[in-house]
Amino acid sequence: MNVSIDPWVWLAAFLTLCIFSFLYRDNLFYRFAEHLFVGASAGYWIAIIWHNQIYPNLFDPLLNQGNLLYIIPLAFGILYFGRFFRRIAFLIRFPIAFLIGWASGVAIPAYIQAYILKQAQGTLLVRDAFSRLDSGLWAVIVFLGVICTLIYFFFSTERKGLIKPAANLGIVFIMLGFGASFGYTVMSRISLLIGRFQFLLGPWLGIIK
Amino acid sequence: MKIFESLTKIPRQIVFLVIALAIIIPLIAPIGFPVNVMPQTRKIFQAIDSLGPESKPVLVSCDFNPQAEPELYPMLLAIMRHCFSRDIKMMYMALWPMGSGMIEMALDDLSDEFDKVNGKDYAFLGYKFGYTAVLLGMGENIKRVFPYDYYGTPLDSLTMMADISNYEDISLVVSLATGQPGHREWVLFAQSRYGANVGAGVTAVSAADAYPFVETGQLVGLLAGMKGASEYETLVNEKGYSDEALRATKGMDAQSLGHLLIMIFIVLGNIGFFIIGRKK
Repeated sequence: MNVSIDPWVWLAAFLTLCIFSFLYRDNLFYRFAEHLFVGASAGYWIAIIWHNQIYPNLFDPLLNQGNLLYIIPLAFGILYFGRFFRRIAFLIRFPIAFLIGWASGVAIPAYIQAYILKQAQGTLLVRDAFSRLDSGLWAVIVFLGVICTLIYFFFSTERKGLIKPAANLGIVFIMLGFGASFGYTVMSRISLLIGRFQFLLGPWLGIIK
Repeated sequence: MKIFESLTKIPRQIVFLVIALAIIIPLIAPIGFPVNVMPQTRKIFQAIDSLGPESKPVLVSCDFNPQAEPELYPMLLAIMRHCFSRDIKMMYMALWPMGSGMIEMALDDLSDEFDKVNGKDYAFLGYKFGYTAVLLGMGENIKRVFPYDYYGTPLDSLTMMADISNYEDISLVVSLATGQPGHREWVLFAQSRYGANVGAGVTAVSAADAYPFVETGQLVGLLAGMKGASEYETLVNEKGYSDEALRATKGMDAQSLGHLLIMIFIVLGNIGFFIIGRKK
């Protein structure tokens, strides 16, 4: 056992234990650590946004390099503050409209390509998928899963005839999806716990390497 | 009947304590469960293993913060060990501000193990705000998006960056991601739009969401959570690239026991619930 003498390690261990104390019940130590985290995060983000975004992308070119074109984005940005004054609150619509227009133009074609066309393409039963028995079987299962899940979410027709068993099979696939997601979520949370214990038992207490 | 009733009323503090013990004990006294390498992990490993000193560099984007450190930092170390051992040139960047700190920590951790020189063997681009503009801009000209590296050196003056202009000059992008921006944005803007080869290492909670991209070939491969990290470590170790301590693999015993215990609790709780329900 080789306990750390680094005060920062002790501080990190103390804050970890403060957060863990919530597992017993809400208490002063937990709330102290929680508020410290929220405050530090807010301060950190303000500094990051100023140093990485606002100053190098706006004030540096405008003030130090004398590029007057940057007055346009500055003016657009200032319009956001119109929200604080009722009479000119409508001005905020201009930068928001610009932002939504730009973001939609950039994202919509990319989303259609990457998330709809490519994914639909991956669901098709192509000849290559049947080059091996196992891949062919999985291709059929994926195809059935997608179709039945989509049928489950099709509410415009009464569930009878073929639609009913297909929708019920869709529920099975949805449940499998939820189960996989839940399993992975548990795995992720346990990993975080392991990480904290590795820190407490390693760098802090020196019990493990 | 009282036994079944008590099964549904176990105090949560007891559950937490038992899980804590199930995690701590295997960390102190490892069991050594075998690590079974999944195909999607092997795909990423093979993609990197097929490269060499003359290949275009591998770009690792650290799109995570210290909260995801137990799952993603071992992946970063394992990929760096793999690339450094094969003298593959590397580039690092971050779409999350604290990602830069993780890269700096990894470079520091591996400084005794490998004698690699900044600017010659690797380039550290740092963090840039506004992921959409960054990812699209890099498809046109990386040096316009990152005129300077993390240390303030102009990118033009770095030897290894001489012939690198955009995604076409990069062999593989690996996004180690914990959310947005992360692997989805790399697929959306770099792979889909510019045809970049993208692989991903994600936290387990995002894994189910990332699998479809592997199936369609939009992701070269996938490392899923601490398990994915331990699989990659195992491959790096098996190939003899590194004999250093396997950080994620050490945690897998605890992971397995933790899961086993949670499954037992779920089964016991359900047994109690159904038996009491039937009696009522």
